[in-house]
Amino acid sequence: MKTISHDELKKIVKSSPMLSVSASRLLQLTSDPDHDLMDVVNLVKTDANLTARVLKLVNSAAFGLINEITSIDRAISYLGERFIVSIALGDCVGKVFEKKLVGYEAAAGDLWKHDLRTAIAAREVVVQGEMEISPDLAFTAGLLHDIGKALISDYLKDSAPEAIELITSHDSVDYLDAEEKLIGFDHTQAGFELAKAWQLPEKLAEVIRYHHSPAEASEAFRPLVYAVHLGDNIAMMGGFGTGSDSMRYRLDANYTDYITLTPNTLASIMLTVDSEFDKLEQSVASTGEDKG
Amino acid sequence: MGQVILGVGDYGASNNPTDDVKTFALGSCVSVILLDPKTKTVGMAHVALPDSSINKAKAAEKPGYFADTAIPALLAEMTKYGCHKKGKGMVVKLCGGANVMDTNDTFQIGKRNALAIKKILWAHGMGAIAEDLGENFSRTVTISVGAGQVTLSSPGRPNWQL
Ligand SMILES: [Fe+2]
Ligand SMILES: [Fe+2]
Repeated sequence: MKTISHDELKKIVKSSPMLSVSASRLLQLTSDPDHDLMDVVNLVKTDANLTARVLKLVNSAAFGLINEITSIDRAISYLGERFIVSIALGDCVGKVFEKKLVGYEAAAGDLWKHDLRTAIAAREVVVQGEMEISPDLAFTAGLLHDIGKALISDYLKDSAPEAIELITSHDSVDYLDAEEKLIGFDHTQAGFELAKAWQLPEKLAEVIRYHHSPAEASEAFRPLVYAVHLGDNIAMMGGFGTGSDSMRYRLDANYTDYITLTPNTLASIMLTVDSEFDKLEQSVASTGEDKG
Repeated sequence: MGQVILGVGDYGASNNPTDDVKTFALGSCVSVILLDPKTKTVGMAHVALPDSSINKAKAAEKPGYFADTAIPALLAEMTKYGCHKKGKGMVVKLCGGANVMDTNDTFQIGKRNALAIKKILWAHGMGAIAEDLGENFSRTVTISVGAGQVTLSSPGRPNWQL
């Protein structure tokens, strides 16, 4: 299998879709712990397309509102930040999320579903694990965490059996290691390059880079990275991986330094993920029919 | 050829020999498969969690979701096909219940699911004759009702029989 050089990876990143101005500003804003919902409202108002999307979503059948919501302020406070971020990302880089991951033998849409499950689970880990970080930020970070898979999937083409062989023969400790052996990069390194090109806030870039090795993240961001690490594992356990790599990663049990989870809390998180996913998937999909 | 597709927490049965009963991507979930040679009926439940006491409302709405409610619900469903209400004569197979690598106790939901299911089966005087449980990969299950054949698949691996 041919490895990707660093220059090639840079080229792949360059040819990827870029974030829209409003999506980029939205990610900056919502990563700042001092922002409030009014800031989000003001930002969305500067983008007519995004405003229209948000209003369309809130009035879609998925929410079953009796009275139409016509004000963007009300729509955003009704939906909450995470829906707005999902729509904004879907609008400009939806293609990346919808990509069929041939290298992982996954179908088109599997990555988006996995990301959405991870996002919901990470948010629930924060809420039910009684963490002191923003649940909405954990959601956004969950959405973005595996973005690197879309970049390297084509290069991993037909390699899934080989990757699995590397793991079962203990030549690789996990799928990440197998990716690196096969093409010279793993999906967290590739995703980190894209995060730089997208000028993502540092904490989101670190989630992308360290979601399988949270202990390596900067101390300040570690709780967030651990929340997404657990969210990712919960998504895979629930049957929503991205194909051949599902469950073939290591759990860092030191999450207990940051997160308190009993088996019952974990079960309750898994239940919430199932029910929230159905709602969110329906509603976000319902705005995405002309997704570019 | 029809397909009976079961999602997370679903259970169902078929006695149509041209049908496949199928469930996708069992991560830590466990698929309980009941094959009744007498009536040529195949039943399956896709169990997500070991114990319904955590959410009684969910258990009422989706009994297949929990080990303790899934098995009685599946047995009751199969009586509609003329099967014995306590599962007498049925062949039991289990698969799924994977765990992520290096998992700690809390995250061993796959293992807890499998144990809970076995306990309930024992209480019904039933036991699995074949199982493919645990490890760290996701499994998709397809059962051909006519042949009673259970086929497992996982991305990147050749299919295998249970
Ligand atoms: Fe990942
Ligand atoms: Fe992931």
